Amino acid sequence: MAAVNGTSAADANSQIHKKPRLYADPSPPLFTPSDILYEFSHHDPTVARINNGSFGSCPSSVISAQNELQIQWLRQPDDFYFNQLQPKILQSRTIIKDLINADHVDEVSIVDNATTAAAIVLQQIAWGFAEGKFNHGDAAVMLHYAYGAVKKSVEAYVTRAGGYVIEVPLPFPVNSVDEIVHEFRQALQRGKQNGRRVRLAVIDHVTSMPTVVIPVKELVAICREEGVDQVFVDAAHGIGCVDIDMKQIGADFYTSNLHKWYFCPPSVAFLYCKRSINNSDLHHPVVSHEYGNGLAIESGWIGTRDYSAQLVVPKVLEFINRFEGGINGIKKRNHECVVEMGQMLVEAWGTHLGCPPEMCSSMVMVGLPACLGISSDHDALNLRTCLREKFGVEVPIYYRSPKDGEDGGVTGYARISYHVYNKVDDYYKFRDAINQLVHNAVTCASLPIS
Amino acid sequence: MQHEYPRNGELTHRSFKKPKLSSEFITESDIRDEFSHHQPRVARINNGSFGSCPDSVLTAQRHWQLQFLRQPDAFYFNTLRDGITASREVIKGLINADHVDEVSLVDNATTAAAIVLQRIGRSFAEGKFQKNDTVLMLHCAFQAVKKSIQAYVTRAGGSVIEVRLPFPVNSEEQIISEFKKSIEDGKSNGRKIRLAIIDHITSMPSVVIPVKELVRICREEGIEQVFVDAAHAIGSVKVDVKEVGADFYVSNLHKWFFCPPSVAFLYCKKSTSSSDLHHPVVSHEYGNGLPIESAWIGTRDYSSQLVVPAVLEFVNRFEGGIDGIMKKNHDEVVKMGKMLAESWGTNLGSPPDMSAAMIMVGLPSRLCLNSEEDAVMLRSHLRDRYEVEVPIFHQASEDGEEGVRDKDGFITGYVRISHQVYNTLEDYEKLRDAINQLVEDGKTCKMLYTE
Repeated sequence: MAAVNGTSAADANSQIHKKPRLYADPSPPLFTPSDILYEFSHHDPTVARINNGSFGSCPSSVISAQNELQIQWLRQPDDFYFNQLQPKILQSRTIIKDLINADHVDEVSIVDNATTAAAIVLQQIAWGFAEGKFNHGDAAVMLHYAYGAVKKSVEAYVTRAGGYVIEVPLPFPVNSVDEIVHEFRQALQRGKQNGRRVRLAVIDHVTSMPTVVIPVKELVAICREEGVDQVFVDAAHGIGCVDIDMKQIGADFYTSNLHKWYFCPPSVAFLYCKRSINNSDLHHPVVSHEYGNGLAIESGWIGTRDYSAQLVVPKVLEFINRFEGGINGIKKRNHECVVEMGQMLVEAWGTHLGCPPEMCSSMVMVGLPACLGISSDHDALNLRTCLREKFGVEVPIYYRSPKDGEDGGVTGYARISYHVYNKVDDYYKFRDAINQLVHNAVTCASLPIS
Repeated sequence: MQHEYPRNGELTHRSFKKPKLSSEFITESDIRDEFSHHQPRVARINNGSFGSCPDSVLTAQRHWQLQFLRQPDAFYFNTLRDGITASREVIKGLINADHVDEVSLVDNATTAAAIVLQRIGRSFAEGKFQKNDTVLMLHCAFQAVKKSIQAYVTRAGGSVIEVRLPFPVNSEEQIISEFKKSIEDGKSNGRKIRLAIIDHITSMPSVVIPVKELVRICREEGIEQVFVDAAHAIGSVKVDVKEVGADFYVSNLHKWFFCPPSVAFLYCKKSTSSSDLHHPVVSHEYGNGLPIESAWIGTRDYSSQLVVPAVLEFVNRFEGGIDGIMKKNHDEVVKMGKMLAESWGTNLGSPPDMSAAMIMVGLPSRLCLNSEEDAVMLRSHLRDRYEVEVPIFHQASEDGEEGVRDKDGFITGYVRISHQVYNTLEDYEKLRDAINQLVEDGKTCKMLYTE
């Protein structure tokens, strides 16, 4: 597989034979297809579940491990609080540190999700404005395709505090990494106009809708060249989906959800904060007893709640290592299969992929037939509901407004995912559903409103 | 004198009572089954810290969790929001709020504090408040809340007044008088008090505060807003948010209301300013009102917020429903407190009618509990050697103040005992005997460090 995301194939390969230190020897046997079927037998069998990207998935053995931890807490919570909770969180953080090639476990905090991580990073930007460290009008740069929740967070914490927000328009469909780099450079120039400083760049590693793998290493380097204060990589889809190496990528902040592609239960994410930045100013917004003891410690206790999803990481590592090639084997196969399925679909429908194969991960955008008449976000949502309710297919749909001069082109894309539990039949089911809609001359205008 | 606990036979209109034959009430053996996952042999007399959850509610929770895992997209689009609204409706009824829009669900009181205080921080940053405008809190406010004030008020330029409440306390009048004095002191420097944070039931030491009276005083004194931190309230005292009259009121449902960890409600009285409250974890619903923002803060397990209707079913299996449970817990904890105080020759930290389902009981002075560290050490010792779980409070002696004495010296340590439906007499006898054993053996806290 071609090098993606700023890491070389050699780096990826060097991690293939990493085994967890938890095992003595020998290693347990690799999963068979029927093992995997069993592990995901709680998924609705009537649904072609080709949307791992939105909410992730969690195998039975990890759910069992989580239940066990929940019972331990309920059994004697005081004892668990005083004697078990923090060591177990530290254990999870240590595993993550190794997985992502961070220098020190202090750099790794565990939070609920990337949305929470964004609030943490953006809150310190808001303080920068409030405390006069930044000037009114200093800029934050983000991608136009940044996740909706992150955009709102930027509004809440940056715009409201007096910051100026610049969105980097990205072409879609996209044909090459150069297109993205070009737009990004231009946006940074805009950011620096009128003597403004660019205080923060928020860069997706894998955009959500439409999904494309962004050349983060290159963009981070450009940020350094152009004097951007801080770079925050939102890699909600990162771990388990693309190769991630904190030192290679070089960002100040990097967050990824572990419940999307890393088999953890809802919900758990890590936020990496490079030690060289002024960490003392990073705080979890839910302030508790540990305020001031460092973000990682603060995040380890934010009041009474269920922390069990944060504690199963060791068990997840065991699970992953029962796949051929571990997580790298899984990523490789997911990528190859999703490209294969994507190509099968575009051939069946006479459309095209939203990006070249080397710019996708375990998700890819697949053009939908123009005759479906997808002409708004509402249409996309209605089509998605129709696919779920009438055809038993779960897949998110993206509406892309036509550019000037474009006519009768593809305006709708499905974002298909491929994960270890998926089967070719899932995608045939989707193919056939769309073909049937086309055959029956159904358009979005005629669909019921969800 | 305000009676915060339900009196004999008093059923509130908020009980959602279904008429039941007495044969249908939950039995002692049912209760044992419901809490059979608790560690046996541990005298678990600390329901106050982390709460408890019966088996039938855990089962309901698991059902919600599996529904999400089975088909999360369908759950997100079709099920989640309605489920949260149903829980909010139940709570609105329980607390006598006017409108379900006033009820948001959050993880815990700590999160609610962050929501209220973040807004105070923004008001300073945006010039609505001036430097040194003030927030008033109780000296014994929960540590997490104090840190939140530091993070969002002090950092933003605000100042803080701490109200020192006497402990042990003898009457509500003592609290009211201290509170009035602190406000006077605060205002005497020309400072404007923007927010008062008042515990409904303090944590350590635990006392039921006459919140309705204190809120009234706040209004009289022109304090802009009042936030009642009632982490322990729901399921242990009557909660009527209109009667209390605060602007914000939060309580954890996983402490005394049988919910799994974790879920709390934050009540925000409708006003012009309530639209500027935001959940600090900003997601798609930003700007659509706090209840809607809080109902989606990114992918996570919302199941503990969805079981509230199932909890109501559980609670209504008890004679008198939640009111019956509250009364019994109160009567029992007072009885047990008195039993312990008598056996140890010590005191209660407050009169019975200033306690709910928890009460402070003085420890024998011979234990020489002289610091926070001693309290922690003794607590661990009781857990490890005697299988008793109970939090311990160190009462620092005030200069020039006469402390309470037992026959051997000043009482400087208190246990905070709780009573919840799963507790039995044996739990408290275990504690009684453990302390008596330590005293008999001539142990002081200092000696425990080397054991």
